[in-house]
Amino acid sequence: MATAVTPASLGRELSDPPSDGISNLRFSNHSDLLLVSSWDKSVRLYDASANVLKAEFMHGGSVLDCCFHDDSSGFSAAGDNTVRRLLFASNKDDILGKHDAPVRCVEYSYAAGQLITGSWDKTLKCWDPRGASGQERTLVGTYPQPERVYSLSLVGHRLVVATAGRHVNIYDLRNMSQPEQRRESSLKYQTRCVRCYPNGTGYALSSVEGRVAMEFFDLSDASQAKKYAFKCHRKSEAGRDIVYPVNAIAFHPVYGTFATGGCDGYVNVWDGNNKKRLYQYSKYPTSIAALSFSRDGRLLAVASSYTYEEGLKPHDKDAIYIRGVNEIEVKPKPKVLPPA
Amino acid sequence: MSQPQSDPLLQAETTCGSLLYELQIIWDEVGENETERDRMLFELEQECLEVYRRKVDHANRNRAQLRQAIADCEAELAAICSAMGERPVHTRQSDQNAGSLKEEHARILPQLEEMRKRKSERRNQFIEVHEQIQVISMEIYGPREYIPAVVDEIDLSLRKLEDLHKQLQALQIEKSSRLKKVQEHLYTLNSLCSVLGLDFKQIINEIHPSLGESEGSNSVSNDTIQRLAVAIQELREVKLQRMQKLQDLATSMLELWNLMDTPIEEQQMFQNVTCNIAASEHEITETNTLSVDFIKCVEAEVSRLEELKSSKMKELVLKKRTELEEICRKTHLVPEIDSAVEYAVEAIESGTVDPACVLEQIEVQIAQVKEEALSRKEILEKVEKWLGACDEESWLEEYNRDDNRYNAGRGAHLTLKRAEKARALVNKIPAMVDALTSKTLAWEKEKGIQFTYDGICLLSMLEEYNILREKKEQERRKQRDLKKLQGQMIAEQEALYGSKPSPSKPQSVKKGPRMSTGGAASRRVSLGGAMIQTPKPDSKANSRVARKTDKAHQVEQNYLDDGVSCLSSARRGLDIAGVPVKKYSFGAGSTRDIEPPPLARQPFSPITSKVSSNTNMANSKDELNIQSEKLQKTISLNNMPFSTPSKTAAIVVDDENRTPKAMPIPVPSTPSTVSVPMKMVMTPAPAFGGGELVRDIEYSFEERRLGFVLQ
Repeated sequence: MATAVTPASLGRELSDPPSDGISNLRFSNHSDLLLVSSWDKSVRLYDASANVLKAEFMHGGSVLDCCFHDDSSGFSAAGDNTVRRLLFASNKDDILGKHDAPVRCVEYSYAAGQLITGSWDKTLKCWDPRGASGQERTLVGTYPQPERVYSLSLVGHRLVVATAGRHVNIYDLRNMSQPEQRRESSLKYQTRCVRCYPNGTGYALSSVEGRVAMEFFDLSDASQAKKYAFKCHRKSEAGRDIVYPVNAIAFHPVYGTFATGGCDGYVNVWDGNNKKRLYQYSKYPTSIAALSFSRDGRLLAVASSYTYEEGLKPHDKDAIYIRGVNEIEVKPKPKVLPPA
Repeated sequence: MSQPQSDPLLQAETTCGSLLYELQIIWDEVGENETERDRMLFELEQECLEVYRRKVDHANRNRAQLRQAIADCEAELAAICSAMGERPVHTRQSDQNAGSLKEEHARILPQLEEMRKRKSERRNQFIEVHEQIQVISMEIYGPREYIPAVVDEIDLSLRKLEDLHKQLQALQIEKSSRLKKVQEHLYTLNSLCSVLGLDFKQIINEIHPSLGESEGSNSVSNDTIQRLAVAIQELREVKLQRMQKLQDLATSMLELWNLMDTPIEEQQMFQNVTCNIAASEHEITETNTLSVDFIKCVEAEVSRLEELKSSKMKELVLKKRTELEEICRKTHLVPEIDSAVEYAVEAIESGTVDPACVLEQIEVQIAQVKEEALSRKEILEKVEKWLGACDEESWLEEYNRDDNRYNAGRGAHLTLKRAEKARALVNKIPAMVDALTSKTLAWEKEKGIQFTYDGICLLSMLEEYNILREKKEQERRKQRDLKKLQGQMIAEQEALYGSKPSPSKPQSVKKGPRMSTGGAASRRVSLGGAMIQTPKPDSKANSRVARKTDKAHQVEQNYLDDGVSCLSSARRGLDIAGVPVKKYSFGAGSTRDIEPPPLARQPFSPITSKVSSNTNMANSKDELNIQSEKLQKTISLNNMPFSTPSKTAAIVVDDENRTPKAMPIPVPSTPSTVSVPMKMVMTPAPAFGGGELVRDIEYSFEERRLGFVLQ
């Protein structure tokens, strides 16, 4: 019902949120530290369980993405074309290298020990962060992409790159010279987000048109027969759907179920195997810009932040909610047999 | 010349001079002539010379002898030294230290003596070791060839001695290990003998007399050990044979005990036999367990029991039979073997049949019945329940017929409670019967035989019951109709006379069907056409209209999530509830029921189909139904988006999720306000229009926000 949502049902709101739109947030793989990048040119490090802002890094431009290296350092991708390394302890950052256009996304591969960045300059770059500072030392390779890179995701040695023009390139990090597979998105509209399944068999891809496609790497007919897409984050009214972009996908590290966040302000939890929606959290004040489960899946960080889908307009303030996750919300339910 | 030496010579010269003088005097007196004198003197000189020569030769010979002696000594010394492996110390010492030969000889002699002594000592040692070796090797290998202790004189070195010692030691170790082995063999043999009840002393005496001696040298020769091993092997074989025999006996003994319920006291005597029934060879160590006497004793017992058994066989058969009957009774099976057993008993009495055979037969039957009972168990439990319920039913009928049943009396509340329970139970009976019937049918199908309950086919019992119930039901209905008729008649009569008895309660109050959409009807919202947004095909990417619409209808949307699907699902809900659909088909598409969204749970839709995000099917049962609805919706969306969902059966291929062969669709990629326009563009829009639409480059929100433009 249209009653005002109580804050409690949204989770605990972090204090000291960024002052502008949140571009991404991620939990650490080792602790409940949370790294948040924002349009206000900052990257912030929070202790999510203690609700404390631990560090803040100011950049030359809006920060479009960030990721952890370990609990002492991280990386950021900024609108001023730079890729930066952030050292949390000393609160210092250095420029790892540059792209020719704003850097849209950044991922650190533990398998390869490399940093992968995707930019609107239609390239992917791999960096070795152990190299001494300076681009000629750290840059491992530059790989041209068919279009501007919109989203990246890693699992093991697999790298999935989603670009404008609905291209999807799948790489093996051990051989970056050629994409292992070149695909076109199954969805008709612009790709918003791509995330690999934690079990490494495929990826979920969301579009601006309230839809998520579940894809599989294996090209055999048996595997490809399993792929499907489903609609979500839409409202239906008088026989018409109001469709919202699906901005964020986050897989639960334990159960392999996943949460999606859309511009409708809803976070839905899905069971991809059983094709069921497990849970819908109550509506957040504005678009869901990013989602991240903590390492044990007990916490979900929700960035409720207007994602500029309708241009400049007044909107609710940007906020980060940390919510506890009940098992019932994310645990796959066995298929229910019809009662006899 | 030293003085003392010159003295005798001087004297001798003096004597010679005086003798010559005497001779001259004699000659002078004789008047010997000069020549004679000269000749005489010459002779004298010659003789003297002879004497000298002889002496010198003699001395010379002595010296040579001495030298030879020394050389011999040295040679011997050297030989001894080399034999003993020592460095010859004295050789060529004489060169450096030139003493007289005698001194040298005197010096070398004691050394030689010493060496000789040492040599003989060494040789004794050698001999000793040799003898020992000889003794031991003889003990081990037998007196095959006696080699007398000949010591090789040439090599008496310490190394050789050491070698011999080593050899000796090795032999000693060998001997001790052999001794140990012999002891072990003896021990094994002893235990075997004790188990088998044989005379150990006698056996080992046969092998080798020395083995019998408690202390001292047991024979350790190859032969002895071999014979011991053979003896052990033989005894072990005997043991195995006996053990096998004993275990066979024990097995049959146990069987017999079991069969005849032999009292424990009687069993106790042979407890030590039966306890070994599963023992392996090495586990049987008790004295005399396998002796001939013991086995004979056990054999005797077994044959005694056998005899006893045959005499008791009749008894046994009867016992088994009662056991069988008991099981059959418990499982409501009809024992079909009665006559057979009767016959068998007679046969046993007459001695024409082997009782064991009959017994075995009965046992097989028991096993079969048990197995069958197991498979029947589930159904039997249900039957018991059902019969119990039937009992309660008949009790309830009885009770209902009792007009005084509500009279408060002692224990009335208990009967009341029982009646209450019985009613609940009776209501369940039809379901019980159904379940039982299906279970029984399944059982019969599986087994291929009829399920009988005390000899009666269970299915016919159930059928009978059903018929009975039907009859009862009819009876009841008839009675009810009669009552009604009576009531009507009364009413008519009363109407004539103006007074009316209290109206009898209608037999069954038909409650209005409950709507599954609790309270929905009262909160219908009419949307009308005003709600419909006309999508602008040329609208800029960020169409804020959508947002506005969204906002504007926030309230409604919270209530009314998914018009068409809501409606249809509501209809389905009603279908399920058994309410005619007609009643609720209001102006479709413009009216909707309120459905609480959080309850909604929707399944994913496969790629080619669409499903509304908010189907309010809490328990969506039939996929088919959903599918058809989806189709219906798709149709409506594609063909006539603004009309009510019609059932026009136009075939629409929804290629929404297929990989488009053409270029990306030149649709504004911003969050489209309504899905309908997107789909509308789909159908007619030519992919390669070459027109202005294609020129539009898609940008993400972020690119737009940053003002990023592709050059």
